[in-house]
Amino acid sequence: MRVWQAIVAFFAMALLTLPAAADSTQGITATTITIGSIGPFSGSASGFTPLNYGAAAYLRYINDQGGVNGRKFDVIFADSACNEAKGIAAAKKLIFEDKVFMIMSNPCSGVAMAIKPMLVQEGVPWMGASANPRITTPASPGMFHTVYPGSEAGRAMATFAMSKPGTTKIALAMHSDDWAHGYCDAASEYIKAHGGEIVATTVLEHGATDGTAQALQIKASGAQAVMGCLYQPELVVLLRDLEKYQINTVVVAALGADFDQVMAAFPSHDWVKQHFFQPYQFQAPIATGPLKKFHDIFVKYLTKDELPKNGDPTNFYYYGVPVAIVAVEAFRLAGPNPTRESWEKAVESLKGFDTGVLADTETFSADNHVGVHKMYAVGLDAQGKETVYKSWGVALPNSE
Amino acid sequence: MMLSLLPQLIVSGISSGMLYALIALSMTVVYRATTVVNFGQGDMVSAGAYAVFVFGMGFGLPFLVAMALALALLFVAGFAMQRWLMQPIIAGPHLSLAMMALAVGYTLRGALRLEWGNETINLTRPYPQDVYMLGNVVITTDDVAICGFVLLLFAALFVLLQVTPLGKVIQATFQSQRGAALVGINVPAFHATMWGGGAALGAIGGVLLAMITPLTPDLGQWTLVQGFAAMTLGGFGSLGGAVAGGILLGLTEKLLGFYVNTMFIEITGYLVPILVLMLRPQGLFGRRAVVRV
Repeated sequence: MRVWQAIVAFFAMALLTLPAAADSTQGITATTITIGSIGPFSGSASGFTPLNYGAAAYLRYINDQGGVNGRKFDVIFADSACNEAKGIAAAKKLIFEDKVFMIMSNPCSGVAMAIKPMLVQEGVPWMGASANPRITTPASPGMFHTVYPGSEAGRAMATFAMSKPGTTKIALAMHSDDWAHGYCDAASEYIKAHGGEIVATTVLEHGATDGTAQALQIKASGAQAVMGCLYQPELVVLLRDLEKYQINTVVVAALGADFDQVMAAFPSHDWVKQHFFQPYQFQAPIATGPLKKFHDIFVKYLTKDELPKNGDPTNFYYYGVPVAIVAVEAFRLAGPNPTRESWEKAVESLKGFDTGVLADTETFSADNHVGVHKMYAVGLDAQGKETVYKSWGVALPNSE
Repeated sequence: MMLSLLPQLIVSGISSGMLYALIALSMTVVYRATTVVNFGQGDMVSAGAYAVFVFGMGFGLPFLVAMALALALLFVAGFAMQRWLMQPIIAGPHLSLAMMALAVGYTLRGALRLEWGNETINLTRPYPQDVYMLGNVVITTDDVAICGFVLLLFAALFVLLQVTPLGKVIQATFQSQRGAALVGINVPAFHATMWGGGAALGAIGGVLLAMITPLTPDLGQWTLVQGFAAMTLGGFGSLGGAVAGGILLGLTEKLLGFYVNTMFIEITGYLVPILVLMLRPQGLFGRRAVVRV
């Protein structure tokens, strides 16, 4: 008898502890909207956390303006360490314990792909900054890219490189992971479709401390441009070796590196001038023009630990903001009694919405959950000044 | 074109190999003294570079002063690690010692990530970066500085071990710790000193590495594999073998990476131990283990 009682009690407990599916107003009270922000707050990818902080700073700024329809945002950070297992645990905690309305930011494609089935099943919206295009293409319910997935950035890399007259021979320098393929596969497709040729594919794995073999392969291939689908440390290693061997090629790098931090690795700027570029996501150089407002928001609303230890907020802080801007706009449109369904409909209704940050306006539909496509490129001009380009040699007005 | 780049690959391979050799040597010193492989050595390498960064760029001290302080700090850290964390469990199973070393390494890395996890640091070189041409071969001041410094260090270690009375004591203790204890050598203190020396050597490797590559808390962990591979190739416990193994590994990486596939660069550090252990388990310069019965 005791055995049966124990078995029944066990299953009763198990049923009680099973996560209940999130209801459509979970995370919303009369005065607050709770949002989960997953990021690599520890581990080797923690350089991406400014993406989380940028979004959080904007929500704190909105709170200071009175919030949306009387509700203020409560942001709960959760650490994924850019690790799938830890990311799933973090998402479970946010959804079932903290009962958040949505998940925001979430750099790290592997984590985003790992938590996607749970989010879709529970109906929890995701608005993130991960590069993998498969997160939102084809469109999945509640999953939105308000910043550029890797495929868009990859196409922008190739478009800019091929806008240099006569450029047809292009090499790929990449990690072998999913993230790098997100950029480089799209770049390759564009290059081949527009009469270009991939003349070399070289691999630099995470932790590489030397890029001699790769740089010399690029040299031997005669590549006129290189698509650098690399994280920041390995990108700097490759650039240093291209400089060392005086290889006269243009490198257009993916968004796994922060432009300002890469520049800091080349204090003299001699070789990187007119050699190194990245797709540029913004309307203007950071901290200038329309982006000045966001610089001030970061400085005012982020804590000392959240801001860079030295210098001004970098590119990644700004890149984190559009997620929050679009989410807030959707809450405005969803009215005083938002539900998940009405919030998602509000996002899908956005057409040509200007975030004031990104180079492109946001346009969504029921079939298209990627809001932005058009990008510029950033690099140093011949005088060494940071400049935003529409295409090779064509600077954005007032960007120099 | 492909063959004309061979001299360049050899120069670059030797330069990288010197760094691997230094890290392998730092691990071999510890292994020879205590027969324990320090799985936390990679993080000692990172810690050395960060220490120079803090003393140099944080406190504004001249590079050589910062480096001297960093080496002293890492020596004390290695000494303390052996004395208070390894020595109490030295009689236990090797797995416990390996786990302790691994745990210390991870703790160190976590601490570095807490402070510098979201930024990469560019350590300022104490010399201008110039490029010299030797025919078609590019040689930078980095190559000269790394090879020159490591060769000097090897020469100093050779003199220390082969010529000085202290070196003879170290060699004697390497050969028979029981014998050393019988003639009055403090073996536990010797162990701790060797761990301190190993940590300081690793720190030098970290500083040299951080001058040519961005410094992140994970920098050292990647060198651990190369250190092991170089040790295995040269022969476990052989100081000269560690040096030769490191240089051969650097050359192999470059040549396989360029002439076969760049994917080979990462896996060379894993392929080498597999091949060596299958074909010549004692390595190139190690002695086959003989058990008297």
